[in-house]
Amino acid sequence: MTLKSLRIGLVCPYGWDTPGGVQSHIRDLAEYLISKGHFVSVLAPVINEENIPEYVVSAGKPIAIPYNGAVARVLFGPIAFARVRQWVSNGNFDLLHLHEPAIPSISLLACWAAEGPMVGTFHAAAKRQKAIFAIGPILEPVIEKLTARIAVSEAARQTLTEHLETDAVVIPNGIYADRYRDGEVLDKWSGNTIGFIGRFEEPRKGLSVLVSALPIIARFAPDVRVLVAGPGDHKGVIDEIDPQLRHRFEFLGRISEIEKADFLSSIAIYVAPNTGGESFGIILAEALAGGATVLASDIPAFDSLLGRGQYGALFKSEDSQDLAKVAIDLLRDSQKRKDLSRKGKDYAQRFDWDVVAEDIYSIYEMAMVGSSGVTLSSENRAWNRFLGREGN
Amino acid sequence: MEKYFFIAFFVIFAIWYLSYSATRLDRLHHRVETSWANLDGLLQRRAAVALEIAKSEIADPASSLLLTAAAHQARDAQMSARSQAESGLSGALGLLLSDGHLVNGSIEKDLLRELSELTDKIRIAIALHVDAVNRTQMVRAKAVFRIFRLAGRAPLPVTYEFEADVL
Repeated sequence: MTLKSLRIGLVCPYGWDTPGGVQSHIRDLAEYLISKGHFVSVLAPVINEENIPEYVVSAGKPIAIPYNGAVARVLFGPIAFARVRQWVSNGNFDLLHLHEPAIPSISLLACWAAEGPMVGTFHAAAKRQKAIFAIGPILEPVIEKLTARIAVSEAARQTLTEHLETDAVVIPNGIYADRYRDGEVLDKWSGNTIGFIGRFEEPRKGLSVLVSALPIIARFAPDVRVLVAGPGDHKGVIDEIDPQLRHRFEFLGRISEIEKADFLSSIAIYVAPNTGGESFGIILAEALAGGATVLASDIPAFDSLLGRGQYGALFKSEDSQDLAKVAIDLLRDSQKRKDLSRKGKDYAQRFDWDVVAEDIYSIYEMAMVGSSGVTLSSENRAWNRFLGREGN
Repeated sequence: MEKYFFIAFFVIFAIWYLSYSATRLDRLHHRVETSWANLDGLLQRRAAVALEIAKSEIADPASSLLLTAAAHQARDAQMSARSQAESGLSGALGLLLSDGHLVNGSIEKDLLRELSELTDKIRIAIALHVDAVNRTQMVRAKAVFRIFRLAGRAPLPVTYEFEADVL
C-alpha cells in the first residue's frame, strides 16, 4: 500500500452505535486505511451523535425493522437520500465502498445516487427468500452499477448468486491476529474447560445446545467446567440448567480484548454451537488466532471457515449428543487438541488485517482503473452520448 | 379527458423508462471497457515479467525458448486469438514453475514474487471482466433492449475464454 493516498468513502447500512459484525468490520477497515495514510469518511446512521469518531458522518437516526430473523437498524427515506447525495457530492471521493448494498438502507441509496468506481461488500448469508426475488428487478440495475463485488464468505457469495445472479470475489472478514497471538495461560480458566463467547441470550448462538450436551460430557469428564463470556443477563439461562450442573457454569460477563486473548489460550476447547444466521464467524477466526481448539456446529459458514474440519472439529448442528461425543473425544485426546490448535493458529493468520486489507485494496485499484472519481449519478448519459456530448 | 391524461402519463413513463434503460446499458458497456483495460494492462505486465524470467537464471535454455515464444505470441496476438495466446503463456509459465526447483539470488526471487502477485490480480481481473460481460449480454438479450435497439452500434462484448485452472 505505498501508492498515493486516496479519498475513500465507506457506507455503513446499520446504526453505527449498535454492536454488530458489519459495523466492527467497517470500523476496523476504516481505521486500517487511515493508518495507511488515506482519507476515509464513513457515512452511517447514528443514534447518539455525541460520541462518534471523527471519520464518521451521521446520516440521521436509524429506524428499527425486523429483517432476516433479527432487528436491523437501517435508514432510508427522502431526507436520508438528500443527505447521501450531499455526502457524495461534497466528499470528492476517488472510490466508494458500500456495505450490504442489497438491503434497504443508505448503502443502497448511495449506490443509486453515485456514479464512478464503487465496490460493494456483501456480508449476509440467507436462505432463498421470495421477497428478494420479488424486488430483484428493481435492485438489479442498481447493484449492476458496482464495479466490483466482494463477498465475505462462500456462503455469502452463494446467497448473492442465487438472489441476484451475479458473482463476487471472496475476501474474508479481517481480525487483528496479533492481539490474540500471545495470550497467557491463566490457571483460573485452564483445565478441562469449555469456553463460549457471545450474546448467549440469543437463541441462534446455540448456548442451549451446549447446556443439554453437558450432562453427557460431565459423565465422562467429571471435572469439566463451562466458561461463558459475553454481555447479557445470565439469570434466565441459569434457571434452565439442571440444578446439579449449575456449579459447572461460570458467567464472566463482557471481557476485554486482553482478557479474551488469555481466555482463548487457557481454555481446553472453544465451542461455537450456533444454529444458523451466521455468514462468516469472526469469533471462530479470533479463537483460532488465539490458539484455542475449536469445536463448531457444521452450519455452512463454520464448515467452510474450518476447512471442512481441517482446522477445528465439527458436530452436527443442533445435535447435542453429537456435540457431547466430539467434545469428549477432544477432552481425552490432548495430542489431537494440540495438533488442531497449532494448525488453526497458522491458518488464522490469513484473516489478519494486513492480508485482508491488502486484498481489498487491490480490488480498489482495479475498480479505479481509468476513472476520475465518484460523482453524482446523472440519468442523462445516454442522451449525452446520443447528442455527441462528452460525458461519463 | 381522463383517458388522455392516462395516455400522456403512459407515454412519458415509457420515454423515461427507455432513457433510463439506455443509461443503464451505457454504464454496463463502460464497465466492460474499463474492466478489459485493467485486465489487458495486467496481462501485458505479465508478458513482460515472463520475458524477464526467460532471460534470467531461473529458466534453462529450452524452457527459456518456449517462454520467450509464448510471451511474444501473447503480446502480438490479435483480439480473437488473445485468450488462446495468454493460456499458452500460462501453460509455459506453469510448466517452468511446477517442478519447484530452488531459486537462489534476490533478483530471481523478486521476479517470482512479482509474477505470483500479478497472477492473483489477473485472477480477480478476469472475474470482474467476465461478470461485466455476462451482465451486458444478459441485459442486451432482453426484449426491450432489442426492440428499441438501445445498444446502438456498440459491439456485443465477447467472453474472454480463460483456462482458469492453468493460472
